[in-house]
Amino acid sequence: MAPAGGRSGATSEGWSTGLQTFHPMTTAKKRLMTGVTAAVAAVVVCWFLPPFRVVPLEVAQEQSARGAFRAAEFVEAFWHERLLTSVDRAVDVAALLEALDEDPAAARGRYGRTLGLSTTAYFFVSGVGRVVEVQRSAVVLALDEEATSPAVIIGTGPLFGNAVRDGSGLLDVSDFPNSQDFNAVSSEINRRIEEDVLPVLREEAAVGARVRFVGCVELAEATRDPRPLRVVPIVAEIL
Amino acid sequence: MKALSGNLIPLALVLGFAAGIAGCNRQTAEGDGRRADGGAQRVAVVISTLNNPWFVVLAETARDRARELGYDAMIFDSQNDPANEAAHFENIVASGYDAVLFNPTDADGSIANVRRAAAAGIPVFCMDREINATDAAVSQILSDNYAGCVALGQYFVEEVGEEGTYVELLGLVGDNNTWNRSQGFHSVVDRFPGLKMVAQQSADFDRARALEVMEAILQAHPDIDAVFCGNDAMAMGAYQALVAAGKADQVKVFGFDGADDVVQLIAEGKIVATGMQFPKVMAQTAAEYADRYLNGERDFPQKVPVAVELVTRETVDQFVGYGRREE
Repeated sequence: MAPAGGRSGATSEGWSTGLQTFHPMTTAKKRLMTGVTAAVAAVVVCWFLPPFRVVPLEVAQEQSARGAFRAAEFVEAFWHERLLTSVDRAVDVAALLEALDEDPAAARGRYGRTLGLSTTAYFFVSGVGRVVEVQRSAVVLALDEEATSPAVIIGTGPLFGNAVRDGSGLLDVSDFPNSQDFNAVSSEINRRIEEDVLPVLREEAAVGARVRFVGCVELAEATRDPRPLRVVPIVAEIL
Repeated sequence: MKALSGNLIPLALVLGFAAGIAGCNRQTAEGDGRRADGGAQRVAVVISTLNNPWFVVLAETARDRARELGYDAMIFDSQNDPANEAAHFENIVASGYDAVLFNPTDADGSIANVRRAAAAGIPVFCMDREINATDAAVSQILSDNYAGCVALGQYFVEEVGEEGTYVELLGLVGDNNTWNRSQGFHSVVDRFPGLKMVAQQSADFDRARALEVMEAILQAHPDIDAVFCGNDAMAMGAYQALVAAGKADQVKVFGFDGADDVVQLIAEGKIVATGMQFPKVMAQTAAEYADRYLNGERDFPQKVPVAVELVTRETVDQFVGYGRREE
């Protein structure tokens, strides 16, 4: 900043303006003080609010792993604490089929749920059936002693899709900031069903056996005849 | 301390002034779609890229629906660049827009932009792509990519068989849609050990990039049976590379989106299948949610999945580009 009035003469201590003597050392000191103060302030701010932290790579990886969603742990808790304790909410599969026969739209509204903007309905069902056919990767059931026509089919091979995640009505995508985690839950539920639920059907279901099941159904709107309902079981027992 | 205060006060004044400008520019009015100065309320449509017809449909449908509802609406193209997107949001906040219909460039990186708008009182509604936060946007209307690609994966196995080699072209690696699609597809296909993926590479959801990537892959793997692409633009690029290499009849191409050129090629038997997303449904829903919000409603689901439908030679008659035939 130039002193007002311009230069009019130099002294050993500074510039004389005629009105006052301007001392460059004083200005330099002020600047120095301002700079030092700002630097101290910056250090204090950075100490309490660091713009970044340097951490060893191993620590960062460990922290990242801790923060990552663990689908297996989530499903372990969900399975025992929420899903299996909710089987009483499942609608009787015979009642659902009857309702679908009478008025599909009303049955979907009363017993089903949809996910977001979709025409596919999901149902949580339970029942007891009699095995009328054992296929390579499915068991087919009739629902009463006399009937031979298939009412329910339970796949026993690889399991795909989101029937249980979305059909149970217990999980909401809005609770998952990253939808990949929500999808990982579905994959883990399917893995658990394949390992824990389906083996008994693969190994012990024979024609004539009675099977108790609880599970979920995915039904597209375009489905004209719901029979046999494809049930993905969370419980399957040979009676 | 005196010197420190003297230096910080001007900075605080500048920041306060900037915030004041943002606040003063938002002359909102309640309920009638008009601002306090009598002009129409303004809606910004921020789109990741307009270098893809699918996103053009998304953007123009959102803009047109907002205009139908009585708003001034303008499209901002982020050109797949988070820096552009951030600059758009700065302008939107400073200009006092009333709502944002938003197609993000990055699930994590875009969160800060949404928070910036929300802090300025501007509601944001995500379309098609999510952000990894549930407390920033008012609502997120998103394709159910995972379920769509589970269905596509099952059809892939039916068409290709349980043995063969294939290539996967991924989209943008920072976008959740890329991984939801890939994971849905692999949740099925990986269960068949005879199906071998010989290459997996990103082509950024871009047709020209997919052409280049596919040409390079064909040099190393000339005898593949199929290619699964994370969107239709990449499917078109891959198909173009296969035609140039004389392998279009040998390699089965699968896409995802429901773009009009791919739907047409499915009808002609040149591409096998795609997953129909519904960009018009997502864009219209986002605009209508914004309208309801600006009219006082506050109860919105954070995430609204939109079902994806399989388009194959058996079902293609039911579809046109970007939606169902009756739309």
